[in-house]
Amino acid sequence: MKKFIYFMAGLLCFLLLPGWLLAQDKTITGKVTDANLVPLPGVNIVINKSNKGTVTDADGKFSLSISGNAKLLISAAGFKTKTIATEAAQTDIQVKMEEDFAKLDEVVVTGLATNVKRRNLANAVATISSKQLTGVAPAQTFDAALNGKISGAYINSNSGAPGGGISVKLRGVTSIYGNTQPLYVVDGVFIDNTATSGGLNAVTNAASGGSPTSNQDNPSSRIADIRAEDIENIEILKGASAAAIYGSKASAGVIIITTKRGKQGKTSINISQDLGQIAARKLLGVREFTADRAASLSRDPATSAALAAQFTAAKSARQIYDYEKEVYGNKGFARNTVLSMSGGGEKTGFYFSAAQKDEDGIVKNTGYRNSSVRLNLDHRITDNIKIGISTNYINSSADRGLSGNDNSGTSLGIALSSTPSFAQLHPDQFGNYPANQFGASNPLQTIALMTNNESVNRFITGLNLDAILQKNNSSITRLIGRGGFDFYNLETNALFPSTLQFQAVNKGTSIQGATKNLSTNYILSLVNTFTPADKLSLTTSAGITRETGDYNNLLNVATQVISGQSNVDQAGALTATQFRAKYQNDGVFIQEEAVINNGINVTGGVRFDRSSNNGDANKYYAYPKAGLSINLTSLGLIQKGLFDDIKLRAAYGQATNVPAYGSKFTSLVVSNIAGNPGSLVNTQRGDPSIKPERQTELEAGIDFSLLNGKLAFEFTYYNKKINDFLMLAGLPASSGFSNKWVNAGDLRNRGVELGVKAKPISSKNITWNTSVNFWLNKSLVTRYTIAPVPQGSFGYVLGSFQIEQGKSATQILGLNGAGVGVLGNAEPKFQMNTYNEITFRNKLSLRFLMHWKKGGDNVNLTYLQNDFGQTSADFDAMTIKDGVPNGVYRIMQVGSSAKVFVEDASYLRLREIGLYYSFNKLPASSFIKNIRVGASLNNYLTITKYKSYDPEVSNFGTGFSSGVDVDPYPASKRASLHISIDF
Amino acid sequence: MKHSKYIYTTIAMAMAIFLSACKKDYGNLNSPTIEQFLGNASKSELNNLVSGTESGMRNNMAFYLDDVGTIGREGYRFSGSEPRYVTDLLGANDASLSSSNFYITNPWAARYRVVKNCNTLIQAATNSTLITSGEKSGYIGFARTIKAYQLLLNLNLTYTKGIRINVTDPDNLGAFVSYDDGLSGIASILDSAKTDLGTASVAFPLAGFNSFNDAPGLLKVNRAIAARVAAYRKKWDDVLTALNESFFDVTKDFNLGVNQVFGTGSGDQLNSMFIPKNQNGEVRVAHASYATDIKNGDDRINKATLRNSTASLNGLSSDRDVWVYTSSTAAMPIIRNEELILLYAEAKINNSSFPDAITALNVIRRGHNLAPYAGASTTDALLTELLYERRYSLFYEGHRWIDMRRYNKLADLPIDRTGDDVWTEFPLPVTEQ
Repeated sequence: MKKFIYFMAGLLCFLLLPGWLLAQDKTITGKVTDANLVPLPGVNIVINKSNKGTVTDADGKFSLSISGNAKLLISAAGFKTKTIATEAAQTDIQVKMEEDFAKLDEVVVTGLATNVKRRNLANAVATISSKQLTGVAPAQTFDAALNGKISGAYINSNSGAPGGGISVKLRGVTSIYGNTQPLYVVDGVFIDNTATSGGLNAVTNAASGGSPTSNQDNPSSRIADIRAEDIENIEILKGASAAAIYGSKASAGVIIITTKRGKQGKTSINISQDLGQIAARKLLGVREFTADRAASLSRDPATSAALAAQFTAAKSARQIYDYEKEVYGNKGFARNTVLSMSGGGEKTGFYFSAAQKDEDGIVKNTGYRNSSVRLNLDHRITDNIKIGISTNYINSSADRGLSGNDNSGTSLGIALSSTPSFAQLHPDQFGNYPANQFGASNPLQTIALMTNNESVNRFITGLNLDAILQKNNSSITRLIGRGGFDFYNLETNALFPSTLQFQAVNKGTSIQGATKNLSTNYILSLVNTFTPADKLSLTTSAGITRETGDYNNLLNVATQVISGQSNVDQAGALTATQFRAKYQNDGVFIQEEAVINNGINVTGGVRFDRSSNNGDANKYYAYPKAGLSINLTSLGLIQKGLFDDIKLRAAYGQATNVPAYGSKFTSLVVSNIAGNPGSLVNTQRGDPSIKPERQTELEAGIDFSLLNGKLAFEFTYYNKKINDFLMLAGLPASSGFSNKWVNAGDLRNRGVELGVKAKPISSKNITWNTSVNFWLNKSLVTRYTIAPVPQGSFGYVLGSFQIEQGKSATQILGLNGAGVGVLGNAEPKFQMNTYNEITFRNKLSLRFLMHWKKGGDNVNLTYLQNDFGQTSADFDAMTIKDGVPNGVYRIMQVGSSAKVFVEDASYLRLREIGLYYSFNKLPASSFIKNIRVGASLNNYLTITKYKSYDPEVSNFGTGFSSGVDVDPYPASKRASLHISIDF
Repeated sequence: MKHSKYIYTTIAMAMAIFLSACKKDYGNLNSPTIEQFLGNASKSELNNLVSGTESGMRNNMAFYLDDVGTIGREGYRFSGSEPRYVTDLLGANDASLSSSNFYITNPWAARYRVVKNCNTLIQAATNSTLITSGEKSGYIGFARTIKAYQLLLNLNLTYTKGIRINVTDPDNLGAFVSYDDGLSGIASILDSAKTDLGTASVAFPLAGFNSFNDAPGLLKVNRAIAARVAAYRKKWDDVLTALNESFFDVTKDFNLGVNQVFGTGSGDQLNSMFIPKNQNGEVRVAHASYATDIKNGDDRINKATLRNSTASLNGLSSDRDVWVYTSSTAAMPIIRNEELILLYAEAKINNSSFPDAITALNVIRRGHNLAPYAGASTTDALLTELLYERRYSLFYEGHRWIDMRRYNKLADLPIDRTGDDVWTEFPLPVTEQ
């Protein structure tokens, strides 16, 4: 068989070669339209097997000089790709494109340097278009804009603080204490997504032990810097079966972001302006006080009487306040301006954008600002060599307020929790704030005087090289190089002036952090596509990859700060800490893809990886992958009829998750006393033999479309196993260590993803596109070699996670009145979403996104804090137990049962809804080509029984233990007006 | 065929680059590693371990003092953000002490971390060829003394649940020993440290050891701690022997002794037992009985100053702040002369040498503006007097609960809310079970 193929290939070469040699240059012109003969601008026309091509202009016309009888590939998003043979005589061609409802011709990246059409894809790859990302009701940051849009993902917002902070978990728990977050790749550049703490723990003391940082400092995710408006499309490789080829950083999936690029033709300019208002999504309400209730705040008779009198005095002076509303009730103004330009000539294309957004938060003096400039350039050096350069500069600044857990009574929520409505917190006529007699801080004063800012200067530059090294009629070999760097400087500035109530001891604290991070990566690969026959195409790729990272964080905590100063030298005491991390990952890969008979697609590949973070830095680990898809209709096994397209697919792959930097060392930390430098054994014990985690994923599915593609189904089942998962295992504290990284066991995620895309209405006046997705994931710890202990929260008394063999990885345990038992599970039972776009007369467009998360429990301690402070809204109601006020009842549970704190966090959320009108029939002579106006609501409607601010919350950031709720920055909702003008 | 040729070229090229890729292992960029110290440590490296040990002793000491102070009803820690101080520690409603909560896990781990550092220092000093044998004994004697003291603090918390004494090998930890065996284990560590210090030359810097920073001084400190341990073991003659070799002196300042000191320097710590007077939200207040039980004129009332307003939380209230640690750099005693005088009195009472005991008690009483003891010369009466003096002299220094436990008097401690409990001991941390 093989010989036969080669023989056929040789024969074909022989037959075709002379014609090719004799070919002469000629210019071809043509026009591309849709089925209704409406001209299509921006359609790509590429000469088969070359890097040469052009794009249609506003009238759908193109012209291209070609050699001989080359084939033209004509493609546009949303249309089926056409191949046109150019007859010798033909110079003017008419092309009518067919709409691709089921997106079967959408090109999906499958390798580091190769791609495949969805029709032949062996994996379920989710895509998000530019319109879905930002075209409905744009979110504040890019990461927030992903929420609810990825089937198979559990996306959770850590808090409502300006500047983002989102956890994205693709197909369940990928790791417990290793990396759980996907790799983000923007135009080939691996983007750093480290969350860097600003050192707030020095003030909040949320984690005891005296470290200036903790995982409760609520930093933003660095991926939030990316501008969503620049993005053309996003592809999500959810597990190892698709992502294996991306290597060490891809075990939690890959989010591949492609930004907009210039196209040949007239320069188009777009200016968009959004104006909006941001408000708290929900407030909890406050307890209504009476003189008796005020008196009950103290058991001391004299104090009780004084409190009652204080209440009465405040009431008669009309000085009863809703402090929750004063703190969280700010109506923030939001603006966003984007200017973009794109265009190009035959050889060079460009896309340029400059954008700025500025938004206030729901707490005064908080907000987010992001300015960005992007220039993407594409240039064809010769017909065979093409380069693309992407450059992006971003300046972002987030004022995030002070929220979340603390042990010092300083965070806004904690301060509010013990402050009754008759407390007097407002400043006097000179602006002096009184001390809060009910708490360690006066939240109004805290808001007015403190600063917690993160500001970033970031450069991301990527380079793509695509050179054809060799080509003939049956074979084409390309050298593909992709790489770039991501560099940022992050400054954190947390400033607490001495006049703040809680600065009585420290007399002013200034925490200044400076972080530099440089990440680089490159992929060099050779890709050979060999087409020995019409029915067979083989793509071989092989290459090398390297990723490096160099992170350096310097954090200075100054106390006894000279009044009005923030520089750390203007202080009586200064403590500095520095953390550096450096790694290099190397990989080698080979991948072979075969398309047989246009219907069978077989892929196999293997990747070898090593990392300087592994115990043995020089050992290569092998990670294979394979995929098979069989398209029954393309093969003709099933005739096109009712079914337009049926495909069976299966894919398998392995990936690695490297240990955290430094996990192989037992280090000694600095601990000084009276000027003597001291070394103290770290609480974390190193393991010199630490191994990477290994993930093995098998997914299988069936995709089919009906009614000429107007109804398409996608069904996927996956089984994802994580072997040797890394665990920060608790050690008996008597060893001197608290924990140690170990390869502690195996876990597994099984799940299904079901997607339906449909176009129920498609008339001239109305079109309706809809998609519905359903997905669920079940995790199970199949092997666990260390003793199960509560972790990731505050212990059994309040409800805690615990990894145990034979149990779900996300179970929540706690006291249940009769010991310790399972009280819940953070994993949702299932999730669903639906995205809809209804267009009237091609002008008015209504779009909305609904997201339903069913099940999944949170540990809600926000309410408990309010109960302890005796300020919760339903403190005095007796709905839980007759005769016992709810607040008292809940407090009585502490220490015997944690059931009331583990709460179902299901929600049904209308995440985004937008209505847009397009003035697209402007006079041809007009300078303006198109005007779009619109209005949108983001996060406006949520149906949930969850009692705290928002079911999406994570006191501990983006790690494993999301869903712990301790007085977060409340979630916000936003209403915006949009105008966009094309020139 | 051409096709295969390209594949081979591709693979060959990739392999060439692959093999030529250089080796990378960055080492630890942030701090020294334990292996570095165990190699052949220099004097300055050993000194770093000494300072790290002294510094680490302060970690989480506030939790320890609040544990002992709260259960011993010396006072309360009111915290808007941490309810467990007034629920679990006091046994509110059905609450009991949890093996996974901060009040036991944090101080326990912090003490054993120092033990680890001491063991590292012992091993590093043993391995080092760069120091004299006298210096070696000095490092080892210091490390053993501190190790014993740290073990004692943990044993005070877990009582009959015991402690592990031998924790040198983290992969092979020694078994838990009972309270009595724990105390005798600690005593023998102190005794071997005494032997070390007898031949030692000490030249390493110490921060809170005042004049006891040389070999004879450290030996005195060692014996002072040994006296406390002997008292816990009810070996009254041993108490007196140890006191004789310590810095016990009825004529000297009560505060003579060694301390944990705090500072604002880089990498240093502040005393987290310090809370300014009249704070709200985060406060440490004296138990109401502190003021009601104190004798007229006793100047130790100044350790609990009157607040502007009563602080209350969860059905508890007090109008006095704990005012023992009066600034963020105030020292925290490890052991001091006042305790030694009281240990002397205690040993004498238990040996029925009442006049000696009364003499010592009167030193304390005189020092606090009280008239000489005029009560009965019986063991019971004198022990009551002794416990009074210890309660007020060592207020919030981590003694009251342990003293009441030693004399089976926990039931005498006041209960403020119906259903509250006085715990006898903490459960072992969950990681030890």
